[in-house]
Amino acid sequence: MNNIRNFCIIAHIDHGKSTLADRILEVTGMVRKASMDQMLDSMELERERGITIKAKSVRIPYVSKSGIEYVLNLIDTPGHVDFNYEVSRSLEACEGAVLLVDATQGVEAQTVANANLALDAGLKIIPVINKIDLPGAMIDDCSLQLYSMLGMRIEDILLVSAKDGTGVPELLEAIVNRVPPPRGDPEGPLKCLIFDSFFDPYRGVVPHIRVFSGTVTRGDRIVLKSSGKSFEVEEVGYFKPGLMTTDKLMAGEVGYIIALIRNAGEIHVGDTVVSAEHQDIDVIPGFRMSQPMVYCGIYPVLTSDYARLGAALEKYKLNDSSIVFEKESSAALGYGYRIGFLGLLHMEIVLERLKREYEQDIIATMPSVIYKVVCKNGDILMLDNPSKFPPAGQIDHIEEPVIKARIIIPPEFVGSCMELAENKRGMLVAIEHPDDRKAVLIYNLPMSEMITDFYDKLKSVSRGYASMDYVFSGYRAGDLVKVDILVNNSQVDALSYISPREKAAVKGRALIQKLSKLIPKHLFKIPLQAVIGSQVIARADIYPLRKDVLAKCYGGDITRKRKLLEKQKEGKKKMKMVGSVEVPQEAFLSLMKIEE
Amino acid sequence: MQGLYIHIPFCVRKCNYCDFFSLAGRLDLLDAYINSILGEASKYAGMPFETFYMGGGTPSLLGAGRLTALIDGLNQIFDLHGLFESSIEVNPDSADVPLLKAALQSGFNRISIGVQSMNDAELRKSGRVHTADQAKNCIENALKCGFNNVSADIIIGLPGQTEYSLRETLHILLEEGVNHISAYCLSIEEGTPFATKIPADMPDDDFQAEMYQMVEQVLTGSGFAHYEISNFARPGFQCMHNINYWRGGDYIGLGVAAASHLNRKRWKNASDLEAYLIDPLKIEIEYDVLASLQKISEETILKLRLLTEGVDLSAFQNRYDTIVIDNLMRRLDAMVEEGKLVRRELNYLLPDEKVLISNRIFAEILD
Repeated sequence: MNNIRNFCIIAHIDHGKSTLADRILEVTGMVRKASMDQMLDSMELERERGITIKAKSVRIPYVSKSGIEYVLNLIDTPGHVDFNYEVSRSLEACEGAVLLVDATQGVEAQTVANANLALDAGLKIIPVINKIDLPGAMIDDCSLQLYSMLGMRIEDILLVSAKDGTGVPELLEAIVNRVPPPRGDPEGPLKCLIFDSFFDPYRGVVPHIRVFSGTVTRGDRIVLKSSGKSFEVEEVGYFKPGLMTTDKLMAGEVGYIIALIRNAGEIHVGDTVVSAEHQDIDVIPGFRMSQPMVYCGIYPVLTSDYARLGAALEKYKLNDSSIVFEKESSAALGYGYRIGFLGLLHMEIVLERLKREYEQDIIATMPSVIYKVVCKNGDILMLDNPSKFPPAGQIDHIEEPVIKARIIIPPEFVGSCMELAENKRGMLVAIEHPDDRKAVLIYNLPMSEMITDFYDKLKSVSRGYASMDYVFSGYRAGDLVKVDILVNNSQVDALSYISPREKAAVKGRALIQKLSKLIPKHLFKIPLQAVIGSQVIARADIYPLRKDVLAKCYGGDITRKRKLLEKQKEGKKKMKMVGSVEVPQEAFLSLMKIEE
Repeated sequence: MQGLYIHIPFCVRKCNYCDFFSLAGRLDLLDAYINSILGEASKYAGMPFETFYMGGGTPSLLGAGRLTALIDGLNQIFDLHGLFESSIEVNPDSADVPLLKAALQSGFNRISIGVQSMNDAELRKSGRVHTADQAKNCIENALKCGFNNVSADIIIGLPGQTEYSLRETLHILLEEGVNHISAYCLSIEEGTPFATKIPADMPDDDFQAEMYQMVEQVLTGSGFAHYEISNFARPGFQCMHNINYWRGGDYIGLGVAAASHLNRKRWKNASDLEAYLIDPLKIEIEYDVLASLQKISEETILKLRLLTEGVDLSAFQNRYDTIVIDNLMRRLDAMVEEGKLVRRELNYLLPDEKVLISNRIFAEILD
């Protein structure tokens, strides 16, 4: 056990985490260079977005310069704030962390967030400046930032180019020398942490575990502390990075268990696994069920695809148990599902994967946070769908979730970022100037602003330089109103939204304007209204169609005429009925993206 | 009734709104094209026709000599002497007196002139190559030469058009003595210059709707009958060839991109002039064969275009299964309930006030 080192690499997005992992695998002879282009990011989508969505681990044999044989367990972590909880559980499985900073970018918001998580978890941190081969590398500035923003010692910092391999052997030496070996009694009662899992269609859910105490082997009966359910272990092993069967996993080791767990809902990241004989073991602290923060409705474009969509979601959840979903119906969009996501990025990834890998043609409604609606009769409702809100008269007040955001920017953008944040109802908590290249803004910001376009706007006002990280910080009462959209006096439930009162009309007008261009003329006049209760805050009319008559039909080319009419008819099939008004699908698709 | 159509796909230039199959310039191909027409016609040798229509493109570009040669050639293949209606389309710039005389001598008894507007600015903006004066002269020459059945095409919604200019166009046409007017609403078709750049002074759909009603009022007030959605005629001057299309009658189309309908089957020659010139008997043909229910629906919407005739379901009785007719009748009756159609006995008609939105109604019948 003294020769085991469990570590992870933490970094801001695009600072080179996956490249470094690849280089480590290559330097240690785990994989040949040609066959491994970013080994750890296997999902196509992860590659495209440059994000590692799901953590994985690899066991790496390593002989140090002094000739001692080590076993390194590299545990990969997701880099985005949406997956903070998953990150914290992966960190829990390690004793050390390589903190990677891009030499051309310096310390960014997620560098700070991840470093703090690692410090909280009591990990030994090895600060590393990466991409030192690039002409724009600012090694001194980065070192200073690591010192001033994160309290790292300058002499501890290693310089690496993950791309060409410079400094990687030194890093491996630092890992075995600085990261402490795991502790724990292999003879003691079994205690493991689940820090990830994946679904195999033949073998069920495969949890990734870190053993803290005891030994797990084939045939053992194990119990999940959160549910008390027990399973028989069919196989244990580790990742190389493929699955590698072994006899047993002992305290200090990292690997997987196969126990024919059919239902992905049984396995929760952060749960504690114990032996059936010694169930009276304290759980590993920090466990919680995944908590969706952002919700949206998804509907099949063709009503007939509803069952197919349900099946796809079931299947999807096997791979990503952090989504929650339930059936929902909308007068405008028909039958669909309400889905809860960990955050906006998570939502985008799930929707994209549903479209791409599961071939679902879907309409997603505007994302919503969970509002706390305090009713006059004292009831408190937690609602993630504006259309489910009680009538305005019954509501005493509405509270909305607030996040604490850390924004790191070059100092010249402080003014424009503050203007943006205040525009988005942010409340400044602190400004810090750790050095003359970085400024840190801490804001309390409504989460609803975050999930609309805050991040895009932030990037644009800072010319792409801003980085941001946030944590949920609680609920705050606001002067919030529910706005409904009426088409020909029928409410379009899918378009209802919650807004601060002073912004309701602006957004309402934008929505109505856009809608008036998206709904084709009908044979009757269609009034479009945005209303708060019975008060109209925006209105536009679509005037009736006066003319739809075919022009010349040449030389008896009737077929062409008929085909034109059939095309018109086909278009109708893709319409959703709102009362007596036909609304094209595209209208919903583009309205969901409306900017304020 | 059986009609013969010949398509002459050549133009001096293409108008800015036109998406029909026609080629600007290339008048050098006219002789070869006539040969190919005659070659294709031989496929139908001996077939009898009651109406004949030569359209385009611009058939008047053939000139007197070629027109005579073409008709002479056709007469060798078919007997065209028994036709009771024989129309030729002409454009004012190319329909000179010799052409008009040759047309009359070749047996044409009806002339359809592409006037479009009697306003020079509107003509210019639409890419027409003639002037209002030329159009007026053309009508006068046709009447002088002895055509007593003269039709003019006009377009509602040309760039720069106003109610005043359109009334002026109608006024001139009525004064000149045409007895048939086709009034088409301009539509912007993909791939045309108007689709690429809509002129700033292009009237909108609402203007077209109002002008359509104005045109109907003026023409019916002057003794014209509104017999088809886009067509107006003095009594006895309806275009029988076109009525045959709407009644679901048979016709043979010769030439590039020409459409035919025979024995409940529709087909269309490929829009490939080169192939047609090489061998008109080996061109690609696109067939359009419809199931009974589609066919009866198609026939219904065509007949509904004939505003005074409409569709009489008893005419279907020998040609379609009862079940198909019943299905249609149920659907039409539902539309009668909604005011979209009117019914008299077994006859269904498109009400006047629904003509402008007839596409919606036709699309529903196709459902």
